[in-house]
Amino acid sequence: MRFILIDKVVSLEPGERIKAVKNVSLSEEYLADHFPTFPVLPGVLLLEGLIESASWLVRKTENFAHSMILLEQARNVKYKSFLAPGAQIEYTVEAKMIEENVSSFAGVGVSRDERIVEARFGLRHFNLADEDSAMAAVDAGIIENLKTRWKLVGSE
Amino acid sequence: MPRRNMRWIWIDKFTEFDSGKRAVALKNVTLAEEHLHDHFPGFPVMPECLMIEAMAQTAGILVGEAAKFQEKVILAKIKKAVFFDYVKPGDTLLLEANIESFAPEAASTSGKITRTDRLIAEIDLMFSHIDQNLAGKEFPAENFVFGSGTSVFESLLRDVLPETIERSEPV
Amino acid sequence: MAMSRDEILQQVQEVLVDALGVDDDEVTIEATLMGDLGAESIDFLDIVFRLEKRFGIKIPREELFPAESLMTDSELIHNGKLTEKGLAELRKRMPHTDLTEFEKDPDINKMADLFTVNAIVNYVENKLSAA
Repeated sequence: MRFILIDKVVSLEPGERIKAVKNVSLSEEYLADHFPTFPVLPGVLLLEGLIESASWLVRKTENFAHSMILLEQARNVKYKSFLAPGAQIEYTVEAKMIEENVSSFAGVGVSRDERIVEARFGLRHFNLADEDSAMAAVDAGIIENLKTRWKLVGSE
Repeated sequence: MPRRNMRWIWIDKFTEFDSGKRAVALKNVTLAEEHLHDHFPGFPVMPECLMIEAMAQTAGILVGEAAKFQEKVILAKIKKAVFFDYVKPGDTLLLEANIESFAPEAASTSGKITRTDRLIAEIDLMFSHIDQNLAGKEFPAENFVFGSGTSVFESLLRDVLPETIERSEPV
Repeated sequence: MAMSRDEILQQVQEVLVDALGVDDDEVTIEATLMGDLGAESIDFLDIVFRLEKRFGIKIPREELFPAESLMTDSELIHNGKLTEKGLAELRKRMPHTDLTEFEKDPDINKMADLFTVNAIVNYVENKLSAA
């Protein structure tokens, strides 16, 4: 399983908001287990779609300044409906605040006019070199790799 | 249906199980897990959302077993998930879940993830019996959560549940 | 040691801020749980659990938010409005709520507006004084 939970960024306003979409297909391996007679995208992967959308917003806003962007907290994440293979979900994430090392967001995922997931969450962003200067090359490698990934999913 | 490559199981075994109250599960993190190599290339760390899933499985099985796996138990709300450090291949996580409230329609759990002595995360969840809370949505009547897949979850309980049953038998 | 109404209100506000992810200043005394604060059925359960723990009370199913069984009983609902029997049942179930406005037009779609912060404070106050 490739751990990329959005397919395409639809629109991006630096510092403000991002919209991205994900297709759901029966070929996604975890659907065989979730659930055997009732395949639906796992709730935490819906949250990951929101996290990845927000992460791209941070990267483009701060021009890929940090290699590591991780979830620091999520609150009131609600699952309102199921998302089945054949459907597409659109994530809209609004930034409440983006600072150098932290950011916070409100996000929602909608499919066919139905709300699937909503969440409030915060990210933290840093470089490994912040703690250990020997890791600067690793940071650079991660950032290069993500810039290449942006060419695949990005909206420009 | 033939088994595919990956399994949606994010804990390895239970180490403690106090039916209806508290459970502790263990998860090993290993470079053999493919998804780590995308998150992130060059510095793999366990995605936080999968730590939430590991806790959801720990707490969900605890809640499900409290009703003898007769009800579907589905994650309805992540009340709060806070992370204090990241997790790398070679780490072993302990996930402790406690049932805070339990009603016919829903249950609320609190939980902690630790690595040796370090607190990695605090995760509080709500589960519902979906018949009651997603009325109108289409889903099959049979128990797809603990139905055909239950044998997988039961194997996670192999070291702890027989003991629990023994303890509760009348002397 | 009795809790004052103000203390109860403050604790109820904290519960709603945590459960619903809204800001302090949104949780006014007249705020409706569903309309103003965005609560849904899973949130109602979350709120009940938190109130039980916070105040050390037991809240039997549907005592605080008695909507569901009322909405599905055909003797209590007619043409989208509560019948006399339905209103009597509602009055019995929700002594912690002022029903005068609702009774003028007992439209079931408006029932959600009955669930206000004020109603919760009344309910908790009654429970604590009965204890």
